[in-house]
Amino acid sequence: MPTSTIAASGSTPFIIKKKELRVSTFSSTSFNIIPKKRCSKKVVSVMTPTQSQRPPSTTGSVKTALTMTEKILVRASERSALVPGENVWVNVDVLMTHDVCGPGTIGIFKKEFGENAKVWDREKIVIIPDHYIFTSDERANRNVDILRDFCGEQDIKYFYDIKDLGDFRANPDYKGVCHVALAQEGHCRPGEVLLGTDSHTCNAGAFGQFASGIGNTDAGFVMGAGKLLKVPPTLRFVMDGEMPSYLLAKDLILQIIGEISVAGATYKSMEFVGSTVESLSRMTLCNMVVEAGGKNGVVPADSTTYKYLEGKTSVEYQPVYSDDKARFLSEYRFDVSKLEPLVAKAHSPDNRALARECKDVKIDRVYIGSCTGGKTGFFCCGKTFPSIGKKSFISLVFLTIVFLLTGKKDKVPTFIVPATQKVWMDIYSIPVPGSGGKTCSQIFEEAACDTPASPSCGACLGGPRDTYARMNEPQASHIMSMNCLFSVCVSTTNRNFPGRMGYKEGQIYLASPYTAGASALTGFVTDPREFFAVTEDK
Amino acid sequence: MAATSASVFNPALTSNKHPEEPSHVAFISNLRMSTSCLTKFQLKHLSPSSIPSQSPRNPICAAASPTCSPSATTATTFHGLYYVLGDNIDIDQIIPAEHLTLVPSKPDEYRKLGSHALIGLPSTYETRFIETGEVQSKYSIIIGGENFGCGSSREHGPVALGAAGVKAVVVESYARIFFRNSVATGEVYPLESEGRLCDECSTGDVVTVELAENLLINHTTGKEYKLKPIGDAVVYY
Repeated sequence: MPTSTIAASGSTPFIIKKKELRVSTFSSTSFNIIPKKRCSKKVVSVMTPTQSQRPPSTTGSVKTALTMTEKILVRASERSALVPGENVWVNVDVLMTHDVCGPGTIGIFKKEFGENAKVWDREKIVIIPDHYIFTSDERANRNVDILRDFCGEQDIKYFYDIKDLGDFRANPDYKGVCHVALAQEGHCRPGEVLLGTDSHTCNAGAFGQFASGIGNTDAGFVMGAGKLLKVPPTLRFVMDGEMPSYLLAKDLILQIIGEISVAGATYKSMEFVGSTVESLSRMTLCNMVVEAGGKNGVVPADSTTYKYLEGKTSVEYQPVYSDDKARFLSEYRFDVSKLEPLVAKAHSPDNRALARECKDVKIDRVYIGSCTGGKTGFFCCGKTFPSIGKKSFISLVFLTIVFLLTGKKDKVPTFIVPATQKVWMDIYSIPVPGSGGKTCSQIFEEAACDTPASPSCGACLGGPRDTYARMNEPQASHIMSMNCLFSVCVSTTNRNFPGRMGYKEGQIYLASPYTAGASALTGFVTDPREFFAVTEDK
Repeated sequence: MAATSASVFNPALTSNKHPEEPSHVAFISNLRMSTSCLTKFQLKHLSPSSIPSQSPRNPICAAASPTCSPSATTATTFHGLYYVLGDNIDIDQIIPAEHLTLVPSKPDEYRKLGSHALIGLPSTYETRFIETGEVQSKYSIIIGGENFGCGSSREHGPVALGAAGVKAVVVESYARIFFRNSVATGEVYPLESEGRLCDECSTGDVVTVELAENLLINHTTGKEYKLKPIGDAVVYY
């Protein structure tokens, strides 16, 4: 078990006994019933009956002191106060869907609201094909066509289309991975409510908004109307201390998930605060909230957020912050200066281990990509890219740092899948500080990585058999030569359940880009400190 | 969210498929009277006086908190074989991502999703959920452990199970999105057990789930298990 300086602060006044927050004490047993889906075409609105007044002793100061998540939902539900456990209708600011869940969502929308129904707001829906794009699978391609037809019919303002699969650059609208695209295109704004048909929608909590994943049916109803949501209680994670140069946000979130387990935050909100958070990749932190079972993650918006949003959005936004006396279910405190690089071993994101303790694990490949690890977003400390100094904070650039420091070549196939078009272009154009003017792509080439691929979700979730870098069964026939005979992968993605990247028996070790880069160079799971001078700066 | 869960309990569902309906009541009463081990229950007799608010047929539910019961009076019952799974069964095991090009709102693709249900389970599960060449499963109830349905938010998960013929899922605890999707689609009834049924039951056991009574009866072992009233589960998620 890795050493850990984290202790759940069991005795602080912030711990609230769970039973205080249970709605079961107050629940009523009369609900309107929605007829089963096959029996009715009519939408019947569902409301919880209004709660009777609670005795004051059970509400106390909750009415005025709210967490960030509670405040966002108060605003969005046009109420004056809320407590965890309440069911409310909230106005949704942005609904996102993609090529895997979009067609199903559209089907439900049409079935429930009518073939000729119009969406509630054509400017609040963002449709981003990203999952199964560069494939010859006919159904996958058809699904993008379904999205296009719907966007045309509804005049959806934000549809990041792709038609020419042979060259992603020939598609000016195409972006790539939805969560990174949402951020890059200015759709994530503090204080708002963003729902998406993808579990990693929680990624956008990095902007100080409520962002959560929902299924097709819920999304179909959002398309037509409002949305019922339950207010989650909040777990607070306070991270302070000087961030060592060999650690990244991925190590911190793996630490947290290892601490509380894959169900530790079920139905809860995870709030990340502290001096360290200000200078981290907040999106990486929030992205993996769902791996702990969380409903949403939030990071308070600050000057970094505002600077990032400049020029990306003209919509006015109103950030909110947790009150000092807000009630949290639990609080965990970390001194990050004492943490070490981590991995999550197969087959669970909470199967935490120190990278250095896994140095005998031989690997077959390294995968760098996904919404978690395929970004060049500089969503952290105030320095804009390009920046000089140890903390350039660009995931893919982190990788280059490892290669630069060593001048070595990869021992195992290293697959790089940029999250979006913009990331791809950054890799090919922006010089990496301290490299003598080389771009990321040049450094990758010199390190014998595979050529960076077309941006999409790629093999993070396996996908159709011909997906680039997919882990396939050793005996399966292949279309691309790299998809063969691999069974242990170090990956910057977010899940490592059995079969996640394709082959059921394949083992996936989740890691930060530094750890992934170091492992690529040795052919074993490797602590990046093997290649970093302990003394600073670069 | 709590309210939408109630939509699942449309009593018009399933009961007309119950093969033993005509003699159902007599069967169950007889079974209880002859069963020698009732797990987790204090009461074995059917004396109405000891259960103030329940009918004589229902001793087990005496201690339960008020349930969110279906508004109609017909009992909702499932009867069939069960398939036992462990903890943390994630959506990729329920329906691997390569099948997600299938759109659940299209009927023929809905059926295809069903044919791939639980195909992602590792080879440690020797008995497959759907036999080779079949498109539906012979198991209509799934038993699981903790955090069932974790991972992805894709609705294809509960849809695949429902399309494969699963009527109810009975687990120790759920991952949020899977529970919500089960309720929203109505594909499977998401029930919670008290304790770890997955440790006591085996794939292939014959079972009856009685929703109105929050009861699961394993006919193969003769044991009965209490289920949490769905009202409570609804409230947590």
